[in-house]
Amino acid sequence: MKRRTFCIGCLLAAISPALSAVAAEPIRATLYKNPQCTCCEGYATYLRSNGFEVDVRPTNDLNQISQKAGVPEKYQGCHTMFVGGYVVDGHVPVETVRKLLSERPKIAGITLPGMPIGSPGMYGKKTQPFVIYAVTKDGKAPTVYAEV
Amino acid sequence: MSAIVGAATCRRSFLVGAAGLLVAGTFPRASAESSKPPGQFALTAAKGRASLVGKAHPATGVWCYGGTIPGPIIRARQGEPIRIVVDNNLSEETTVHWHGIRLPIGMDGVPGISQPPIAPGQRFTYEFTPPDAGTFWYHPHADSLQQLGRGMAGALIVDEPGPIAVDRDVLWMLTDWRLTADAQIASGFGNSMDAAMSGRVGNTVTVNGAVSKEERVRAGERVRLRLVNSSLARIMALRFEQHRPLIIAIDGQPCDPHEPDGGRLLLGPAMRIDLLLDMQGKPGRRYRVIDDFYDGLAYWVTKLAYEDKPPLRAHSLDPPPALPRNPVPEPDVTTAQRQELRLQGGMMGGGGMAGMGGMSDMSHAAWAINGTSMTGDGHAGMAPLLTLQLGRSYLFTLRNDTAWWHPMHLHGHSFRVLSRNGRPVPRQQWADTVLVPPRETVDIAFVADNPGDWMLHCHVTDHQVSGMMAILRIV
Repeated sequence: MKRRTFCIGCLLAAISPALSAVAAEPIRATLYKNPQCTCCEGYATYLRSNGFEVDVRPTNDLNQISQKAGVPEKYQGCHTMFVGGYVVDGHVPVETVRKLLSERPKIAGITLPGMPIGSPGMYGKKTQPFVIYAVTKDGKAPTVYAEV
Repeated sequence: MSAIVGAATCRRSFLVGAAGLLVAGTFPRASAESSKPPGQFALTAAKGRASLVGKAHPATGVWCYGGTIPGPIIRARQGEPIRIVVDNNLSEETTVHWHGIRLPIGMDGVPGISQPPIAPGQRFTYEFTPPDAGTFWYHPHADSLQQLGRGMAGALIVDEPGPIAVDRDVLWMLTDWRLTADAQIASGFGNSMDAAMSGRVGNTVTVNGAVSKEERVRAGERVRLRLVNSSLARIMALRFEQHRPLIIAIDGQPCDPHEPDGGRLLLGPAMRIDLLLDMQGKPGRRYRVIDDFYDGLAYWVTKLAYEDKPPLRAHSLDPPPALPRNPVPEPDVTTAQRQELRLQGGMMGGGGMAGMGGMSDMSHAAWAINGTSMTGDGHAGMAPLLTLQLGRSYLFTLRNDTAWWHPMHLHGHSFRVLSRNGRPVPRQQWADTVLVPPRETVDIAFVADNPGDWMLHCHVTDHQVSGMMAILRIV
């Protein structure tokens, strides 16, 4: 299948961070993705190599799922993950996910909008810092949570 | 009643029965047809309510034709003129596109190109003579995402001059809807994630306007099943459990009867397939019709529910003859002018290749054909991407440089599908909408015999309105 070929790029991108993975208690996460988007699988692989236990669920309702979780349309990534009571949208690096889970701020979750080249699971080389936003469910504008 | 009768007698008697069945209200028919002479129809576009998901849920607020989902069937005869009066009772402009019909440009329903849009409260009369018999459909070509996505679609069936030897002629309009928990149509039409990925694929699939638990059939009967995918974006891959459907026409154009590859019918948005289905199952049993196109999201669309009655006939029928061919001009591939059309854009466009690549901001997501993005549904002053010479044969290579599927539709013409990825396809059937898988190429050929400015666009509506659309000028 042609679809497979896209996986290769995603997987390659996911391999290097895996080498620095620290063994720890697995963190359980559920990741919703478009059934035809392959970079999301690359992100799941990246998470698994970093000690996460990821349940990948294809869905055609991604837009509704992420909006309901508090991620405004303009801040959406290409997949939506639920972990430790938070939503994590898009290709957010694991250090930021861990920061979220240890700090436990009173927010709905965090998002890295779009599909930045060079982000975990995506192909290419990172060219600029990733700006990760905190989102809430009270309709307030997202604020910067981390730049990595 | 004698349970077993000779096939020949049986066929004839059921032909009459079949015609009666359709009239009797299995499907809605155009409202004014009974009170008007043959070939005269009336369609009113308006808001309405429809029970899509059953009585346990509230009716869904829809936009529709003639108060029904799907809209009334328009039934025409090959080579005989029809006239459809369209009244717009919506609060926005609309038009009607007669998908797949080879008609004059002024009747094609593209706003600003073939006609001024029909303003709210206004009327437009469409008049044309369908040259081809087959299964076609109609839908708006204005604010398509919402108007089609909220329900505006209907079948246009053009009958062959003579009867076809089947027991029943059945239509399944297959549509999907993105519904909320209270069975209303979800907002968010045109959101950037849908636009840049697979389009607004819904979460509820209906058959003729309602979620279908089963469709009743009789053992031994031969059914002509007309499948129409009127979804905004959902591609279907249908399998009929323990049945062997024969494809007898694609996009309204007859082909040599054949079984689909692997028993799987690929039906993209706007595409039609006519099947000949011999009901060889057991009385009282049920057989699923499965759609497993999207990885991990297989479901069943409906079930063939066999009546608990003895088979209609003792012996299976002979293989069917092909349907009579339509008068579509044959392209001369040896002298055809060649043209490559590259489909570009979308999420994950490329790994550094052509296309929009990975995007940091999805709101800029767009699609293009040969680097040009035409957005919307058609408007005055659109520049043609290509100018074609009237009467000449053309061979287009549709090259999909994207990571997504595109059902590409050409208005006003039917084309032959010659090859995929450089390999000739069996039968080289006619089509008006062809699915181009990610990173693949499809060669099509046609005679540019219809003067005018014709649309070529992706029928994943999100892709069309955000750039994957072009005008071909034939002069």
